[in-house]
Amino acid sequence: MKCILNTGRTVPQGASVEHKGSELYSTVASACFLNPVDMMMLGIENGDRVRVTTPAGHIVLTARPAEGVARGEIFVAIGPYANHIISSETHGTGMPDFKSQSVDVEPTEEPIKSVGELMEAIGGLRYDRT
Amino acid sequence: MIERDVVCPFCGCLCDDLELETEGGKIVKVQNGCSLAESTFMNDTRLPAPIRRTETGWEDISYNEAIKETAEILRDADRPLLYGWSSTHGEAQSIGVHIAELIGAVIDNTSTVCHGPSILAIQEVGHPGCTLGQVKNRADVIIYWGANPVEAHPRHMSRYTTYATGFFVPEARRERTVIVVDTRRTDTANIADEFVQIERGGDYAVFSALRAIVRGNASVIPRKVAGVSKEQLIRIAEICKKAKFGAIFFGLGLTMSRGKYKNIRNAIELTDELNRHTKFVISPLRGHGNVYGSNEVFTWMTGYPFAVDFARGIAFYNPGETTAVDILRRGECDAALIVASDPGANFPRAAAAHLAKIPTVVIDPHVNATTALSRIHIPCTAAGIDAAGTAYRMDGVPIRLKKVIDRGYPDDAEILKKIYDLLNGGMGP
Amino acid sequence: MTELWVKNACVIDPIRGINGDIMDIAIRDGRIVESVSDRAEVIDAERCLTLPGGIDSHTHVSGTKVNFGRYMSPEDMRAGRTKRKGKMHVTSGYYVPTTFGNSYRYSAMGYTTLLEGAMAPLEARHTHEEFTATPHQDMMANTLFDGNWAVMDAVREKDIRKTAAVVAWTLKAARGYGIKLTNPGGTEAWGWGEDLTGIHDTVPHFAVTPAEIITTMIRANELLKLPHSVHLHCNNLGKPGNYQTTLETFELVPDLNDARQTLYATHVQFHAYGGGTWKNICSKAEEITRLVNSKPQIVMDMGQIMFGRTMTMTADGPMEFNLHCLHNNKWSNHDVELETGSGIIPVTYSKKSTVNCIMWAIGLELALLTKNPWQCLLETDNPNGAPFVKYPEVIGLLMSKRYRDEECAALHAGTEQKTSLYALEREMDWHDIAVMTRAGQAKALGIVSQGKGHLGVGAEADIAIYPIRTDSVDPAREYRKVVEGFQKTRYTIKRGRVVSRDGEIIVDGANATFWVDAKVPEDIRMENDPEFIKRFEQFYTVRMSNYPVQDVYLPRGRCIETEAFT
Repeated sequence: MKCILNTGRTVPQGASVEHKGSELYSTVASACFLNPVDMMMLGIENGDRVRVTTPAGHIVLTARPAEGVARGEIFVAIGPYANHIISSETHGTGMPDFKSQSVDVEPTEEPIKSVGELMEAIGGLRYDRT
Repeated sequence: MIERDVVCPFCGCLCDDLELETEGGKIVKVQNGCSLAESTFMNDTRLPAPIRRTETGWEDISYNEAIKETAEILRDADRPLLYGWSSTHGEAQSIGVHIAELIGAVIDNTSTVCHGPSILAIQEVGHPGCTLGQVKNRADVIIYWGANPVEAHPRHMSRYTTYATGFFVPEARRERTVIVVDTRRTDTANIADEFVQIERGGDYAVFSALRAIVRGNASVIPRKVAGVSKEQLIRIAEICKKAKFGAIFFGLGLTMSRGKYKNIRNAIELTDELNRHTKFVISPLRGHGNVYGSNEVFTWMTGYPFAVDFARGIAFYNPGETTAVDILRRGECDAALIVASDPGANFPRAAAAHLAKIPTVVIDPHVNATTALSRIHIPCTAAGIDAAGTAYRMDGVPIRLKKVIDRGYPDDAEILKKIYDLLNGGMGP
Repeated sequence: MTELWVKNACVIDPIRGINGDIMDIAIRDGRIVESVSDRAEVIDAERCLTLPGGIDSHTHVSGTKVNFGRYMSPEDMRAGRTKRKGKMHVTSGYYVPTTFGNSYRYSAMGYTTLLEGAMAPLEARHTHEEFTATPHQDMMANTLFDGNWAVMDAVREKDIRKTAAVVAWTLKAARGYGIKLTNPGGTEAWGWGEDLTGIHDTVPHFAVTPAEIITTMIRANELLKLPHSVHLHCNNLGKPGNYQTTLETFELVPDLNDARQTLYATHVQFHAYGGGTWKNICSKAEEITRLVNSKPQIVMDMGQIMFGRTMTMTADGPMEFNLHCLHNNKWSNHDVELETGSGIIPVTYSKKSTVNCIMWAIGLELALLTKNPWQCLLETDNPNGAPFVKYPEVIGLLMSKRYRDEECAALHAGTEQKTSLYALEREMDWHDIAVMTRAGQAKALGIVSQGKGHLGVGAEADIAIYPIRTDSVDPAREYRKVVEGFQKTRYTIKRGRVVSRDGEIIVDGANATFWVDAKVPEDIRMENDPEFIKRFEQFYTVRMSNYPVQDVYLPRGRCIETEAFT
């Protein structure tokens, strides 16, 4: 399903933002909010996983229903999950399209990656001794 | 021990009325704060000591070693990028600018992926604003546009706007009309007297429509603009014109969506127009606790609020070119110093990935996503928790962050000063 | 111990009555002394003009509003930029330069002390942070009280003692220097998008008038024994016909102080307009100066404008909005809760505009028609009338009728009938200029006793040596040499150290910040007043305990204590 990816701050994301290695943060930042009608169209339930794809890449997220999200849109908290698929193009403004990235959403069985895995996918090495 | 009137350093509200209880050098209770404040003070897990990435893992190193190697990395770089700054105090930011000037670096702060577009708009048309107390004491119309303070600035409404008791609005909420404009029906939208749900990317058109109506040209407005009915637009325009004091607060819903700075320019021009009828102000809801301070410090030192490039010896500014995401996306920088922020998590992947390809040093109290991309991470104090210093509230009011406890970490300003001294042949700025 | 010996200086030191004597100046540890040892470093001034360090008694260089002027103006930042060089940091900007830009350029012109013209107490910390980054001048901040709620309440109650107590508390909290009133009452009205039209209008909701605020504050100021007088930006700035308001205001001023003026009226050029519209605006400099010449209790500064682009910035929010409605360029506004307002817009003063030409003429008329130069000081309300780097040109204009005539010839034709400037023959001399650029400021600000504005033994060794030989330059004819000479000192000495040479900064600065602690009796101190505390906690958005500026922001603070009410 073609959608527009919107991102933004949420309280749980803000409250765990200094603990990006934590499971809580990972859960919060990998939640993908969809309009319930769109979820029905995709044939998925609360807690199922979706694969979200853009020209920049793809990411697996957990689907959550949200009445406030318009149809044809998905909402993901700002963070490494959303950023995994957002283009770095800024159109000369310095600001990427954090709120208007076109995406393709489909159900998947693939697992959710941790923040550490995401960073390792781009050449990083997780540090988890704290 | 009870510490009163503590300032929360988390978001741009910089609420300064918190009560903290400490016991044996630890914070055990936070009162008056929102849940973000509580987690800021209570769940403050730190990186214990400087670390360096090796072939196979991470090793602890001394502060001296970490500082020396950082200075070497920066000295050897042809095009270093110094990024972040918004969660620390002005004292550290100021040394950061001196380092950038000394080594001809690009220095940018987190407004680049936050309200950078708002700054661009302000540079085109100015900014009619005020301190938050003006809104609290006077405003009878409050508009949140593309902003969700319930989630991002949880006490904004109770301290400064909707629910705050003001001198001329003693009945607070009952005397204020609250309008929320968003593409999503957020929790903020749920408390609004008027919720205006617009189609994604429609903000610019809706501002233009409102400007036309305020100017008396309602006849040119079609039946619907970006999903908003003409009736509602006319109603909103009337509420605004009849206001004694109106205040617009806008968020990333405007800066990050289609049109970017042009959205904000149009919002400011609407505010300007409304001032020809009544009193109206507009302000961005700034995110990081001291992001506005980084703009202030950069500005008085270099002339520009963000994205400053010293490669030519002079201070050069060209957002879109000298902004951090663009520098990284083009793979242009060959070393990075990241202070008090987390581009690993907050930049698009392609930009973040470049950090792992070059020597990147992080100076931050916490392990974050960028840690994984770095070569060295140096832990330091957290401004407002175990370090005192200056922060600027989202409305420009400077507030002194307090040192509440001592956890034995060095201040980031102190670390940066040592790096500066090494780069300057042992001489201070 | 560091010693410096300046020999062969052609000294003009009006406060000590020295006018062009060739003499030596001995300096030890930052102060002027009788003599120094033969180990002292020697500077040969070669009979060049040597003056006490320049003092600007009204300039906008630091703080929220100034920084916002920079923030919104990348076009200006590009207009003036220099690289890091030796001890000099990078600078940007022409009419609102960065702090280092301000500091270096003032220092190159021989200025060693600046009074920031407007600081909102709530944002005082910001001003002090920028002071620290303006390292080559001693700084002080006029503190805004024009829309201060507690002041207006006390004025309404006709309680001068309480008014004074509020001022004392606020000055100390803000580490401020003196009382500034900007469009008194008008900035509060602007909180509702309104303005006042005269000094007898009532401030909405506060039931006081500007006249009451001004007269009460003048008395409170003297009760507190503040070194400086009330510093007033009159109501109705920039409006045709406003000279009436200015005259009415001046008539209110009693003569209460033997040592200095009782009222400092700033940038009077902007307040000396006749007519009623932009079409029939004319100069009323003659009327204004006639009154000032008869009232020694008033000192004013010129508020000279110079042609070109600059930025206007003032606490006078409503005025800026009116100006914005004329220019329709960018506009910023920043009202400060319970205290004041502010506005910023860029402007270009053009010789093609009759109004601008008249404004230009009025500033010069004010200076030339004021008999006593101690009563009309030289400044441009930097950057409102022009950036301060234009001061040398203003000096040239005051010293040379020929220069003025040449400039007038290029002005809009309508100017001559609207002003008296073309007929004024007066040409100021070196001594007049020394008064108008340092001695007069030191006296007006009340800092002579702090060792400022003169070169007597015990004074701070702030000295400007200009590459001008007064015995060989005829300023009336060779005005270009005058202008050039005042642009760059040969030496600027700050507290006994050479800080600038031929326009280049050669050391790191170490300025001081002057502030005033007026001690009022225990029983009326505001920190003990439950009603004041209650209102503060209710209506400000910062806690009272977080409001005062901490000492750490004044690394070299110099507190002037006064025993008020005695």
